[in-house]
Amino acid sequence: MTTTLHNPAAAEVSDIDRSARCSLSFLIFSALGWLVAGGVLALLNLIQAHSPSFLSECSWFSFGRLQALQETALIYGWSVNAGLAAGLWLLIRLGGAPIRGANYVGVGAIFWNLGLTLGLIGIAVGEMTSFSLLQLPRYIQPLMLVAFAVSSAPGVLAWTGRRAESTYATQWYVIAALFLFPWFFSAAQVMLLFAPVRGVLQNAVAAWYGQNVLSLLLAPLAIAVLYYIVPKIKGKVLPAYDFAIYGFWSLVLFGSWIGGRHLIGGPVPAWIPTVAIAAAAILLFHHIIVAINLRGVFSTEGSIVLKFAAAGFAAYLLTGIGDAVFSMRGPAAVTHFTYFEQAQLQLALASFSLLVFAALYYLAPRLFGAAWPSAGLIRAHYLASLIGFTVLIVSLAIAGWRQGVALNNPELSFAAIAAQSRPWLQVATAAQALLVLGNLALLVHFIRLMLGKASAESAAQFRQPQALEASAS
Amino acid sequence: MKNGFLFFFGLFFALALSWGALVLGTNAQLGDLSPHYDDLEGKSFPERPSGLAVRGQAVYQDLGCASCHTQQVRRADYGADQARGWGERQSVARDYVYQSRPLLGTSRVGPDLANYGVRAEEAGKSVADVLADLYNGSEGMPSYRFLFETRKIDGEPSAKALAGVAPAGYELVPTERAETLAAYLLSLKQTYAFAEAAPYEADDSKEGAH
Repeated sequence: MTTTLHNPAAAEVSDIDRSARCSLSFLIFSALGWLVAGGVLALLNLIQAHSPSFLSECSWFSFGRLQALQETALIYGWSVNAGLAAGLWLLIRLGGAPIRGANYVGVGAIFWNLGLTLGLIGIAVGEMTSFSLLQLPRYIQPLMLVAFAVSSAPGVLAWTGRRAESTYATQWYVIAALFLFPWFFSAAQVMLLFAPVRGVLQNAVAAWYGQNVLSLLLAPLAIAVLYYIVPKIKGKVLPAYDFAIYGFWSLVLFGSWIGGRHLIGGPVPAWIPTVAIAAAAILLFHHIIVAINLRGVFSTEGSIVLKFAAAGFAAYLLTGIGDAVFSMRGPAAVTHFTYFEQAQLQLALASFSLLVFAALYYLAPRLFGAAWPSAGLIRAHYLASLIGFTVLIVSLAIAGWRQGVALNNPELSFAAIAAQSRPWLQVATAAQALLVLGNLALLVHFIRLMLGKASAESAAQFRQPQALEASAS
Repeated sequence: MKNGFLFFFGLFFALALSWGALVLGTNAQLGDLSPHYDDLEGKSFPERPSGLAVRGQAVYQDLGCASCHTQQVRRADYGADQARGWGERQSVARDYVYQSRPLLGTSRVGPDLANYGVRAEEAGKSVADVLADLYNGSEGMPSYRFLFETRKIDGEPSAKALAGVAPAGYELVPTERAETLAAYLLSLKQTYAFAEAAPYEADDSKEGAH
C-alpha cells in the first residue's frame, strides 16, 4: 500500500516506456522551451498590435518579423516537437515493443531544434519567406525536412514491427501525420522556394500547405491522443468505434482542400475558394464521427487529463464548425483580412495544445516512473490555459469582427478602425500573458519531474488500474 | 486496416488528389499566363518592374510589410475595396506574372497597397514624401527609423536628406533599403484594363437574371 502511494505510476511503467525515456524527454523539454519562448514572442507581437510604436526602433522585432517569429516558434518548435513526442509514445505503446532506433529520435530532434534556432535568427534578420506557416528561411528548410524524417523513423518502425496485426485508430492518425508531413513539406519547398511556380500560383500552393499543417499534421496527432486516452482512462470501449475509419479517411481526403478559403475574393481562379467552402462543410462529417466516438471525454469524472482533453476536443469541434461557417462568402466578407482569422488559427492551435497537454500529463509520469510533483501546478496550468485560450480567442474574434464591419464601411478611416479594435486587443494581450505564465508553470513542473523529486500528493490525479492496459487497443 | 501497403498508398493518393487539383489544376489554368500586348499603346501589360523596385520588393518582404498590408483589390460588390479607392477594378492573376513572389497579404491592419503608386501620384507625393512617411510612421503604423541614418555633413550635404529632422551639422539620409522600398511602393499600379478584370455583366436581353 505505502509503496504504491509513494509511486502510483510505477506499476504503469514498463520496459516499453523506459526504452524511450531519454529521447522523448528531450523532445518534450525542447517543445516546452519553444512553447514559452513562442508565447513571449506572441505577447510582444500582440502588444505591437495595439501600440504600434512598441519595439519599432529595433529591426529584428518589426511587427511582421515578430509575427513570423512567434508563429514559427509555436508551430515548428512547440507543436512539432510535442506532437512528435506524443505520437511516438502512442505508437510504441500500441506497437507493444520497446522503441527501436531511439537514437534516431534524439539525433533528428537535435538537428530539428538547431535548424529551427538558426531559422528564427534568419527570420529576425529578414530572410523569411512571407508564406504563412512556412516562414523559415529557404536555406534551412531541407535540413528541417531531413531532421523530421529521421526523428519520425522510429514511429514507422514501431508501426511495421507491431506485435498485433490489427491496428487501432490512434495508430492510423499518428502514422498519417508522420507520413504526410514530409510529403507536403517537400512539395511546398520545391514549388515555393527552390523551383517557384509563377505568380499567384504560389499563393495557392502556400494556402494548400498552410492548411495541411493544421489538418494533416496537427489535427491527426491531437485526435490520436484522444483515441488513446479516452478509452484508457474511462475503461470503456468507444461507442460506434466501427465508424472511426470513416472519420479518419474523411479527414485525410478533405482536410487539405479547405486552405483555399484564405484566397476568397483574391486574384486566383474562383473555384479554389468555392471548393474550399464545400470541403469545409464535407469535413464536418469527420467532426461528427470523432464527436460520436469520443464524446465520453466530456464527462471528466475528476480526471485532470480528461479535463484538458475535453477542453481541447471542444476547441477542435469548434474549429471545424468555424471553418465551415466562416469560409462561406457572406461571413468571409466581414472576417477575411481581419483578426478574426487570427482567432480561428488560435482556436486550432489551442485545440492541439490542450490535447497535447493532456497527453503530456498522462505520459510523462509513465516515462519517468514518477508522479507529477505538484497537483497544484497542474490545476494552475489548467485554469491558466482554459481562461487564457478562451479570452484570447473570444477577444480576437470580437476585435476582428468589429474590424471587418468597419473595413466594409468606406467612410471609416484606419485610425477609427484601430480605435474600435484596440480595447479587445488589449484584453487579448492580457490573456496571452496568462497563457505564458501557465506554460511556464508546465515547463518548471516538467523540469522538476525530470529531476526526479516525486511526491505522493498528485497520486489522485492518475487513476490508472493496470487492468486497463489490455482493454483499449 | 491490416494491409499496410494499401494504407500507405491510400494516404499518398489522398494528398496527391488535393495536390493535383489545387496545384496542378491551377497550374494548367494559369501556368502559361502571359502579359497582354496592347497594339495601341505599343507595349505589353503589366509592365516589367524596374530593378530598383524588384530590390525594394525584397525589403518589403523581409520587413514583413505583408502582415499588415494586402496587395489585392476585390471586386466592387465584395467588400469595400473599390469604394475605399484602393483600385478601380479587381486584381487578376495577370497583374502578378512578373512578381517573383506575389505578396497578396493576409491581413488589413493598414490599407491595401495594390495601387499605392497610383494614389501617391494623384496626391502628388514625391519619393521624399514617401520616405518621410516611412520615417514618421502614423497612428496605426510604426516608424521605420532603422531604414535611415543620421550622419555628419561632410562637405556637400546630400540631396536625398530629409529636411528638418537632424541637428545642425548633421543630416538624416535614407539607406539604400529605404530608397528601394520607396521605389517599389511607387511602382505598385494595377491600372491596365485587362479583359478578364472587367466586372461580369448580365446579358441585357435577360435583365434581372444572374
